Amino acid sequence: MSKVSILIENVTKSFSIKGNKEEVVAVEGITLSVMQSEFVALLGPSGCGKSTILRLISSLETPTEGTVNINGQLPRSMVSKHSLGVAFQDHALLPWLSVWDNIALPLDLANRPIDTNLVNSLVDLVGLRGFEKARPKQLSGGMRQRVSIARALILSPEVLLLDEPFGALDAVTRRLMNIELQRIWTLQQITTVLVTHSVEEAVFLADRIFVLSVRPGKIIREVLIPFDRPRDQLIMRSDEFHHIVDELTEALDSTE
Amino acid sequence: MENKIHKNRIISFINLNWGIILILILWEFWVVVNDFNPIVMPSPEGVLLDLIQNPIIYIENSAVTFSIAVVGLFGGMLIGTTLAIMTWFSPLLSGLINPTAVLLSSVPVVSLIPIIARILGYNMATEIILVVIITFFPSFVFTTAGLRALPPGSQDLFTSLGASRISTLKKLALPAAFPNLAIALRLAAAHAILAAMIAEFLMGTNGLGYLFAVTKQEFLTERAFGTSVIATVISVIAFLASSHFENNVKKRFT
Amino acid sequence: MLSQIFPNKNFIYGILGLTSFFIFWQIIGHFQLAGLSLPSLTDVLNFLFDPERHALFIRAIGATFQSAVMGFLAGALVGIFLASSVQILPILKNGSDRFAAVINSVPSIALGPIFLILIDREATPAGVASIHVFFIVYVSMSSGLSSASREHEDLFTIFGASRIKQFWSLNLPYSAPAIVSGLRLSWPAALIGAIIGEWFGAARGIGILIINAMQNFQINLLWSAVLLAAMMSLLFFGLMTFFERLTYQRFR
Repeated sequence: MSKVSILIENVTKSFSIKGNKEEVVAVEGITLSVMQSEFVALLGPSGCGKSTILRLISSLETPTEGTVNINGQLPRSMVSKHSLGVAFQDHALLPWLSVWDNIALPLDLANRPIDTNLVNSLVDLVGLRGFEKARPKQLSGGMRQRVSIARALILSPEVLLLDEPFGALDAVTRRLMNIELQRIWTLQQITTVLVTHSVEEAVFLADRIFVLSVRPGKIIREVLIPFDRPRDQLIMRSDEFHHIVDELTEALDSTE
Repeated sequence: MENKIHKNRIISFINLNWGIILILILWEFWVVVNDFNPIVMPSPEGVLLDLIQNPIIYIENSAVTFSIAVVGLFGGMLIGTTLAIMTWFSPLLSGLINPTAVLLSSVPVVSLIPIIARILGYNMATEIILVVIITFFPSFVFTTAGLRALPPGSQDLFTSLGASRISTLKKLALPAAFPNLAIALRLAAAHAILAAMIAEFLMGTNGLGYLFAVTKQEFLTERAFGTSVIATVISVIAFLASSHFENNVKKRFT
Repeated sequence: MLSQIFPNKNFIYGILGLTSFFIFWQIIGHFQLAGLSLPSLTDVLNFLFDPERHALFIRAIGATFQSAVMGFLAGALVGIFLASSVQILPILKNGSDRFAAVINSVPSIALGPIFLILIDREATPAGVASIHVFFIVYVSMSSGLSSASREHEDLFTIFGASRIKQFWSLNLPYSAPAIVSGLRLSWPAALIGAIIGEWFGAARGIGILIINAMQNFQINLLWSAVLLAAMMSLLFFGLMTFFERLTYQRFR
């Protein structure tokens, strides 16, 4: 029986916005758990609070009510142990660092020695061999996201958090990146939470999907994805795949 | 082939400098038409002649003014940047200092010169301090802005990676601030030379400002103009050099 | 409830900082801790607002203000004209930029005698003021004019609009915020230019007060002149910031 890695219990998060007397409730009564080595996707329209949930897990926000635990500890303590890997939609690559230095950055910040072999292996893993010295402005959007993912993995994190990492890419590149990510993930099988509004992306990558409603975000559906790993891109053409996508799309439409 | 390269060079020289050439022509024209006594208004060639025939005086005084400007510039930028970093660490300090800094910056700098000269004495050290005061403000303002102009999402990244405050300063905020610092340098460099000259003009110690005041008084107008020309040339070079530096920094850090 | 009275932490800090500054000044001045040349704030204020001196200071402010405004207008007009010309005839750009940079690099004190010869003694302060204003407005407006996006310019080209038409309908509106920004930034330069220009033989003005006070060791007069200059600067700064906010809202 797999252990629970991320446990979110009855979490509500509200924000007070300057100028508004009332508070804005981003998410309400969220309860979900992520098992070790499980890949979970949070699916929902814009403004449903899925990014908020990710920010709660990564300690960038604290819950107004309820608790968030990762491997039995508070998110903040995971952060101070440098055990989290994150890749957000703003790739947030530092423009003055090369690809290599950007990937190595978390090691530097964690005061760990820079393991050259490790960095090189990650460069290879995301398929950027030959671009080590390039700077972010010389790379395409897809390549930048690859750097971002490599950087997210360098600390061998216990938990990987991805917030619409491919949101800024065109449909073709996005599909390729999904296939790449699947390949990379299968090698390490880190506990992962992916936030996305693309149904196909979620179904292809995840083991379980939570569908969220519009603000205040609540979980309205949980779907188990039956495909075995490693997943071939051909499954995206299968009837079963289409069926699940339809089901989820319907669930999303009902949130309007 | 060589002629073509020559022609291109001449064309691009004219393309760049037609404004200055125009001024020189107008100047010569104005002097000739009005038949000015050189004491009232010298001609371009009169000024040039004085420059060529008396290099030592010009070089000596230029060196003085230049040194004051450079030392003051360095000091001002150092203090401005340090203070900006301190306010980055402490919002309390930031809130305390900012309005006062804005208030002080609204005082026209030239009016401060006599006051500070009175308090600190009429000497070179005072001139340097004046340049420091003038160059402090741009570097403070621009560094403060630059430390906050972070690439989107990078602060969140650093937080989620558990980076310490010092690490965030060294590895994120400071590099992000470099382009702004370069802009501040460009602005401050121009002001530094100007300030040094005005200080020398008012306080009468030595340097180009002093030379200008003295020669104007003694009706050595050609030399006075020569001083202005040299000062202008130094300023333009400083401007071009710092613009070039600024472009390089922009390329490297953004 | 307290948070309604003091809505902003920064606001409190700011007031605190300013008050401490003034108290500091008062103490140092009162006890002559920095020598005779640093009087207490109260001494200076008394001197400044002494009814007997009202006329003197008002005349001085008036003269400097007039020169600064004239210089401001002249410099701004030339700057706007040159930047516009460059936008319509791009071939002028390199030479124009270089010209503006060189003009701006001439030390203000050297401009004094030059303007004395070109125009008269009374107009020299305005002349000196105009130079730096010209440069700042020219640079700001040049930057603003070229800020219309490529897509917009392509659109106008496809519709067959001439460069002049494009200038009036596209570049100029786009540059409005930058122009106002530049105008705001150039006022202090106008003020300083006017003050320096007065040193070359003007009859009255803040610059004259400063020189006289400096040469005659009249400390309170010196500080009063400085305060007057600062107030003129701040007042205009406030006005222009207000103006700038308006333009940003309208044109973006």
